[in-house]
Amino acid sequence: MDSNVQLMLYLLPTLAGLLLILPFGRSLSGPFESIFPSLKSARGRVFSGLILTCVAGMAVSFQTLWITSKLSEGGNFCASNTVLSCDDVLGNIDYNTVPYLEISWGGLGAAVFAILLYLAYSSFKEPNASWVSMNLRLGTLLTFGGFFVIALLIYYEIKMGKICQYCSTAHLANIAAFIGFFRLMKMNETKDWDDIWAQVDK
Amino acid sequence: MKQTYDEEADVRTTIAIRVMALFFVGIMIIAATTSPIATGTKEGERAPALEGKFYNGSQWADFDLESYWDSSWEEGDMSGQWVVVEFMDTDCPYCIQSAEEMGQYADYFGNSNSEWNGALVNFIASATQLDIQGHDTSRSEIISFRNKIADSGDDCGSSDCGSRPGAAHNFPYIDDIDQDNMKKWKVGGTPSYYLIQPDGIIAWSSAEHQGEEVVDAIFALVPSAQSEGA
Repeated sequence: MDSNVQLMLYLLPTLAGLLLILPFGRSLSGPFESIFPSLKSARGRVFSGLILTCVAGMAVSFQTLWITSKLSEGGNFCASNTVLSCDDVLGNIDYNTVPYLEISWGGLGAAVFAILLYLAYSSFKEPNASWVSMNLRLGTLLTFGGFFVIALLIYYEIKMGKICQYCSTAHLANIAAFIGFFRLMKMNETKDWDDIWAQVDK
Repeated sequence: MKQTYDEEADVRTTIAIRVMALFFVGIMIIAATTSPIATGTKEGERAPALEGKFYNGSQWADFDLESYWDSSWEEGDMSGQWVVVEFMDTDCPYCIQSAEEMGQYADYFGNSNSEWNGALVNFIASATQLDIQGHDTSRSEIISFRNKIADSGDDCGSSDCGSRPGAAHNFPYIDDIDQDNMKKWKVGGTPSYYLIQPDGIIAWSSAEHQGEEVVDAIFALVPSAQSEGA
């Protein structure tokens, strides 16, 4: 399968998750509300979008880790003469590991998205637990920290003159997750949080 | 009184187990489908990039070590090109002493020698400038050392570059005056030698075999008709 077609397996769920997270997510979720009743409320939609985004982010991070491992074997996956060439980015040993930790960026991404998934999914399953607000704050903080990592990785890409489309999908997932955690954190501070049916028409 | 609240039933435990299971499945898939090789300068590791301008006998051009690699190469395949990388300094006495042998080895294991019936071994020198007083070098000095040009005005060590032992060299000399490649390869001193397989994996390093000559490593590791028949 072409590497850019394969990328769609991660990009489409990330975009769908982002659309659900955004305030106008209702227009997207409408047809699915009878199957997934939780999509009727704003809280349910943001949680669903957030979980979808975290799963897609974790999956695309694993894919970049896999590509990095394959490249170290001497193989290639998405080499290209165009500016979109993840092989050139992920195969560059000067930039493909986390400074000081020497672990692949893909490995770090997978671990972080696993933590975000845990924070989002556990809060979704028990939204009225006392620890939910802490989970949402932690999620917001972690994804906000991700912006600095994204800035560093984009700086590397500019230096190399190449863009890794798989990495960019993971970056997009982090941005979407930040919006999701932030919106949920704000919602959690209002009394509407418990009364999800009051949000149905909002 | 019976306690109805069970802390072990906390949804966090269940979710943590599920997410961890998902994470480890991902790790196991990667472990099962890939065999990553670390990049480094120890034997068995993938050689790091060696880039810069090299002198090819007529001009300075872009050099990229990766262009030598063949990822489909398999052990014993005689068609692959091996590479010997020498990290040297044109003012280092040991490098000057070994220049004669290096030239002879490059000629012997190269394409044009019918006596050698083994795989092609390319020789590459990465010329640096060590942080030692009197070790000032330049591209002009690298050319004078390589081509053994007499009375060029360039001194190699404390003598004229044209008086170094051996004949002029035909292999590429990379300009590493800024020590970029040397630092990347974590080279402790000059001369240092690396024998690299056609797939880019370091087969032998002088740092790991003190007292052993690079020529012994070539005879031991590079496939030839003799070793095939033995």
